[in-house]
Amino acid sequence: MKNLFFTLTFSFFYAFLFSQSVEFEKDNFPGRKDELKAARKQLEIGIEFYSNGRQEFDEFKKTFISEHRYCPVSHYDYQKAGHQNFRSAISPLGEAQKFNPNNARLNYMLGFISFITDPSMPQTLTYFETAHKLNNQVEPDLLFWLGWTYHLNSKWDDAIKNYQLYLNSGNKKNPAETEDIKKKIEECNNGKKFSATPERVFVDNLGANINSSYPEYGPSISTDEEMIIFTARRDNSTGGKREENDGGFYEDLFVSNKQAGKWQPAKLLSKNVNTEFHDAAAGLSPDGSKLYVYRHSGRDGGDLYETVLFGADWEPPVHMNKNINTKYHESSVSLSFDGKRLYFVSDKESGLGDRDIYYSDMDVKGEWGPAKSIGTIINTKFSEEAVFMHPDGVTLYFSSKGHNSMGGYDIFKSTLVNGLWTTPVNLGYPINGPDDDVFFVISGSGNRAYFASSKTGGYGEKDLYKITFLGPEKMPLLNTQDQLMSMIANPVSNLKTENAVTIASAKLTILKGVVTDAKTSAPLESSIDLIDNDLNIVLATFKSNSTTGKYLVTLPSGKNYGIAVKREGYLFHSENFNLPDDMAYQEFTKNVALKKVEVGNTIVLKNIFFDFDKYTLRPQSGNELERLSKLLNDNPTIKIEIGSHTDNRGSDEYNLKLSGNRSKTVVDYLISKGFSASRLVAKGYGESKPIDSNDTEDGRQNNRRTEFKILEK
Amino acid sequence: MKFYNIIIILFLFSIKIKSQDTIKVNANLSPAQLAEQDYNNGIEALKRNDFESAVNMFNNSLASNPSFDKALANRAVAYTQLKNYNLALLDINRAITLNTYNPEFYFNKSLIFFSQQLLDSQSVALENCLKINPAHPEACYYKGMLHYEFKEFDKAIEYYTKAINSKPNYVYAYNDRGSAKREKSDYTGAIADYEKALTIDNSLFFILNNLGSAYRLNKNYSKAIETYSKALQKKPSYLIALSNRGAAHFENNNLKAAQEDFEAVLKQDPKNAYAYNNLASIAIKNKDYKKAKEMASRSIEFDPKNGPAFYNRGIARQMLREEEGCCSDWKKALDLGVNDAKMFINATCLD
Repeated sequence: MKNLFFTLTFSFFYAFLFSQSVEFEKDNFPGRKDELKAARKQLEIGIEFYSNGRQEFDEFKKTFISEHRYCPVSHYDYQKAGHQNFRSAISPLGEAQKFNPNNARLNYMLGFISFITDPSMPQTLTYFETAHKLNNQVEPDLLFWLGWTYHLNSKWDDAIKNYQLYLNSGNKKNPAETEDIKKKIEECNNGKKFSATPERVFVDNLGANINSSYPEYGPSISTDEEMIIFTARRDNSTGGKREENDGGFYEDLFVSNKQAGKWQPAKLLSKNVNTEFHDAAAGLSPDGSKLYVYRHSGRDGGDLYETVLFGADWEPPVHMNKNINTKYHESSVSLSFDGKRLYFVSDKESGLGDRDIYYSDMDVKGEWGPAKSIGTIINTKFSEEAVFMHPDGVTLYFSSKGHNSMGGYDIFKSTLVNGLWTTPVNLGYPINGPDDDVFFVISGSGNRAYFASSKTGGYGEKDLYKITFLGPEKMPLLNTQDQLMSMIANPVSNLKTENAVTIASAKLTILKGVVTDAKTSAPLESSIDLIDNDLNIVLATFKSNSTTGKYLVTLPSGKNYGIAVKREGYLFHSENFNLPDDMAYQEFTKNVALKKVEVGNTIVLKNIFFDFDKYTLRPQSGNELERLSKLLNDNPTIKIEIGSHTDNRGSDEYNLKLSGNRSKTVVDYLISKGFSASRLVAKGYGESKPIDSNDTEDGRQNNRRTEFKILEK
Repeated sequence: MKFYNIIIILFLFSIKIKSQDTIKVNANLSPAQLAEQDYNNGIEALKRNDFESAVNMFNNSLASNPSFDKALANRAVAYTQLKNYNLALLDINRAITLNTYNPEFYFNKSLIFFSQQLLDSQSVALENCLKINPAHPEACYYKGMLHYEFKEFDKAIEYYTKAINSKPNYVYAYNDRGSAKREKSDYTGAIADYEKALTIDNSLFFILNNLGSAYRLNKNYSKAIETYSKALQKKPSYLIALSNRGAAHFENNNLKAAQEDFEAVLKQDPKNAYAYNNLASIAIKNKDYKKAKEMASRSIEFDPKNGPAFYNRGIARQMLREEEGCCSDWKKALDLGVNDAKMFINATCLD
């Protein structure tokens, strides 16, 4: 009796463990001969496609490992491996599955195909789990794929368990595969750690005006977040063609502008930019006037192009030079705030890993110089992608499959300190997750970011999302009361403040506005010089838009900046921004009305500086004086008055004398530069003509000024 | 400065009584004696808080003896109580002219300025008093108060210490010195001073509350809760101690006990704005932002100048995605002196 019990129990468990997989055999489907036959036929067709696809897949993996010395890190890396065969296998295998859902090998195949073609589909995990339940040894690598699927679903512990089981199994693995499993276990540990202390953010879909049922990704935003340009693969793409490899429409660039805080319906960029092949957004200059486009027409790995906004349209993109483009794949561009350095990504051979980040400096001829690797602190032996240099000039955001990623690409941040990059910091969960997190751009203020994600609840495929950083948790404030001083009849309310939390925000000032003609108010295209007043050098030159007159200049904190807005036939307009190193993010709107070179017109020379209470010119005035000299040179018939003004501190007599001396100093400078004294009049007005209140420091500062006026033309 | 509106006038009164005592008079009255009799009646009227009668009595006294300096000084006190500061000042100045070396006259003059919130003038009068009597305990005490008010806590402590040295049982000086030490985050020093004050007079429940708060700020929550409870034993209706005990529980992460105390405050005072705000704080901690917004709104309804309530409602609104409301609340909180709101505004409300 006892023996019978053991025999039955053993038989039951044996059946449970190894015999639950239902094979396509007639004994398993009595009375369903014809259906079985049809299902077998479908299975046979499906297996053929699958086997062909798997062969291509294995070949791809082998080649990848021999080229990179590591396994593909992200499932996207496999996207083109056997893709067509796998897609062809879906339908027949699906039919067979309908007939017999309990076959371990069929579930494995469907899970595998689903994983390679779209692992975000919930059935991927169902297929692998079913296969595992039916026969956990149906394929030697089942545990690996099951582990990876758990990994992509943020089921960290289940993933680690299966990776570990696979690592310890007798299945033969090459060193790259062993290293890959260990890396994935490490990624899961990172994921566990980061998801235990999630970052406080709001993540919002950008809505139907931006997203569609097709994939949207690769956002680029202007520093003031008024314009977004992105890549989409929609049915209205230019030429309407589909790509052979994955069957999707070719990429095109779309743009949307914000009005009253809302994104307007996205429009295709013109045919100047979009072609019938791949045209993708690779980056936007901080002022929104230059766009970088990735194009791939099949001739090489894909190249970068630059286009400039002229009026309302982008000029035809220009192929970037050979220092940037190679026969390899170049993508993702970010321009420094002054437009003098270009960061980009390339998978060229000289790199540390697959794709690396490089930079190139603009030479004296305005050409991009030889590319240099950004270095080993940032680049790893794995891929780096989607570089974004913040307009503050010191903070770099990028995606990497290396460092302490949670899986695939994660977004990292590094800061330039004394010429060295700090160790990259993972932006944490839920910004990063187990899947690829890439194409991340952050606003000028540093408080919002934009990225693409396939997360559920979107409009379909990849959508664009906005992240709002909430900063550390804000502690509530209690009301407490104490009667601290005895002589007070009523208690004094005392604010109880919890420890303050610090919110990091970018140290950056955005200056924007519209340049117009002072008389007609018509928008003007003009050049805008950004000057380092301490070094007396022009850091960069920007242009206002020829149609709208709009301009945007980003000013990282820590410098005394001069701004000169210039246009031929007009008097230049100058502004001064002295931004201490700790100046937090701020936005200034300064509309500039340029005055024509006409008699009676006056401008304030905001970048002429005198020593305190003296009439000695400070060296920082050099650039403004040069502009003044140029104006006199360009207009050889004009006669001008230099007039200085003071605030109302000090006696009238003293102020009159000081201002007179200051005007004379400027005139003397101009005479020393060879201009005839007969064209120059120096006048001191003292405190007699204030333009602002003398009751505030700001007002007094405005009143202390040097102007010039055109007397004759 | 608002606390100057609500000074305990009794203190002023006690100074007057102490410095300008009654005078014995005989039956056959000379003009000087008549003046003294009226003076005494004036003092009695002051004691009854009958300030108009006191003025009349001192008028009579001064009619008999126009150079009666004490009568002038006390009429000044009566005028001060009647808020007739110009006449008060006129009288005290005449008293000082008649007797330049009486420190009490200068001290009373300082209190006239104190009543008018003329702090600089009060300070000068106190200094004149202290020139004559550097150990004048009340003058030292008030000088300490002035420094305290100007947030010059080291100087405040120096003068409170002088007051204590002159008058070792000066309970208020101990309390206020403790408070000045607390302002300097010297909680141990504050605790020592409050405890000393309580050994002098343990009936002063507000000092027990201060002691509890010093323990709370020193993060000794069990002692804080124990001390607030003692204050509540002495005066069960002392809602400040009840509310502060709730705060101690809150900071000790005992949100349940905190909630009980804040709700108990509301039971006794259903319009207590602070209790509503403190309940909002608990709701924020519990991530119940809807409730937090509701509680903070109630607080604002009963106290439209409660900065922390605006601040807390801003936090709740941010999490409820009411961005405009959140920013307007934080801006209001900043206007009401909650400086912590500034960084949140900078980070969130640029649009």
